[in-house]
Amino acid sequence: MTTHAPERRTIDISRTEGIPFSRLVKVEWRKMLDTRGGFWLLAITGVLLVFAVAIVLLVIGLDEDVRVSALDWSTILTIPLSLLLPVFAIQSVTSEWSQRTGLVTFSLEPHRIRVLLAKVSAVILLVLATIVVAIALGAVANVVGAQMGGYDARWNLEVSTLAATVFVQLVYFLMAFGIGMVLLSTPAAIAIFYVVALLLPFMVYGTLYALFDWAQDFIPWIDLQFATAPLLDPNDSVSATNIAQMAVACTIWVVVPLVLGSRRVLSSEPK
Amino acid sequence: MIEVSGLTRTYGGFTAVDDVSFTCEPGRVTGFLGPNGAGKTTTMRIMVGLTPPSSGRVTIGGHLYRDIPNPGRHVGVLLDAGAQHAGRSGREILTIGARTMGLPDSRVDEMLAMVSLSDEEASRRLRNYSLGMKQRLGIAHALLGDPEVLILDEPANGLDPAGIRWMRDLLKGYAHRGGTVLLSSHLLNEVELVADELILIGRGKIVAQGDKKSLGALDAQVSSLVTALDPAALVRGLEAEGFQVVPEGEGFRVNASTADVGRAALEHLIVLTDLRDGAAGLEDLFLELTADTQREVAPGVPAAPAAPEGAHR
Repeated sequence: MTTHAPERRTIDISRTEGIPFSRLVKVEWRKMLDTRGGFWLLAITGVLLVFAVAIVLLVIGLDEDVRVSALDWSTILTIPLSLLLPVFAIQSVTSEWSQRTGLVTFSLEPHRIRVLLAKVSAVILLVLATIVVAIALGAVANVVGAQMGGYDARWNLEVSTLAATVFVQLVYFLMAFGIGMVLLSTPAAIAIFYVVALLLPFMVYGTLYALFDWAQDFIPWIDLQFATAPLLDPNDSVSATNIAQMAVACTIWVVVPLVLGSRRVLSSEPK
Repeated sequence: MIEVSGLTRTYGGFTAVDDVSFTCEPGRVTGFLGPNGAGKTTTMRIMVGLTPPSSGRVTIGGHLYRDIPNPGRHVGVLLDAGAQHAGRSGREILTIGARTMGLPDSRVDEMLAMVSLSDEEASRRLRNYSLGMKQRLGIAHALLGDPEVLILDEPANGLDPAGIRWMRDLLKGYAHRGGTVLLSSHLLNEVELVADELILIGRGKIVAQGDKKSLGALDAQVSSLVTALDPAALVRGLEAEGFQVVPEGEGFRVNASTADVGRAALEHLIVLTDLRDGAAGLEDLFLELTADTQREVAPGVPAAPAAPEGAHR
């Protein structure tokens, strides 16, 4: 207390500033990484990145015909980033409910939409930061690989492909965030996310796609992986149909969960 | 100051809080007392905007909670000391709070020292905290922003007697410096010693409010408990004076003050072996007022009858 007046029936709020958005983002960033779970997710992702580099270098060392370019490296090294890191996006929201920290978070900042935007910002920063790390690692590996294989390093990662990589990664993380908000339960959200993002494309859609003609017309409309594939391949030209497919798949898996989920977070009572 | 007016919250057909109005004055500790499920927590959650009211409103220092910028700097809140990430250390939990409010990290050390959590304890993860340590941490968190108003839900729950005494001194000192304190409890003896004002709630409704003196006056009938060497003579003597005598325990309850009973004993030459004030304490009043609103009465608890009987007291 700054004053000692015995009777203060009103509180003077004129000199108190609201919480700046940048501070909320910093806090949400810290909350995302300061638990043991967060530490291990990052550590394992780091190990996977190093592991991926090691395997590719091993192949280069063993097989003289193998040439790995910067584009190949970026494709390989974004895979570990998409495996475990979306859990951060999910937990960023769900832990407020499962660990019940929402009681404190939303009483320190009652404008919940600001908290949600800060969380999304922290998630986007995580995507960008991890891609920067992966690209830097890929650049080093590109030089080392060229030395080992005795070929000239190829620097063929176009800015447009890099932008597409960032975009696709963001799409998946926002989908994870949206599913987290809709379900407000860590295990349920993680399960649904991995079924939709990994299991269905590999186990179900892949098979259907290979076997049936109708599946080839249909699946790119409902699956993010098939829909965004042309975007990531610099040899593919992106058609209007591709764009439409991406828009539909993103609406189903990103826009709808984000809208429904944020409505749920804004209106439900953290217990 | 906290001003609650006409607050109602319904869930489907269930009314958790039913037209509740009260005021918490600055400089005083207000105890919010009621059995479990009486609506205390819901009322406090509405105060800090976690639960929207069905009708009515709460202002804190003249403002709606959501209109207070950086509310942690003005209102300290502890709703559930266990509602923190089990994997974070106590120090990390306070650091997150301090960073959110824009306070220096040194404030975290100050608060840890104030609630007597050692460095070793502060670096332990919350899942390894006892309930009492969680409460201390929760109180530290509520006081981080040096607020003018404190809202604490069951803060004494899990504290040992020394901890309860510590909290009592802390809150009294806080109110003495002009702060407003609202704390809830389902146990009268936790609140009785610290609160200047009491608000009794049962089944969502306020059943009584006032300071301890005026609440005590609700129980207006004087009564004494008395035993004597010759019980028969005692009964005769007291009835001769026009008092009503009811057997209770090893002696009798009389609807007269201890002075009147002593005078009657003197006149009738009765040797008393015990004489004391039999007025119901706040505890009885609390049980009585909430008896018909109590969700469950433990068997064997001598809850006072819902309809007060004159002769009884």
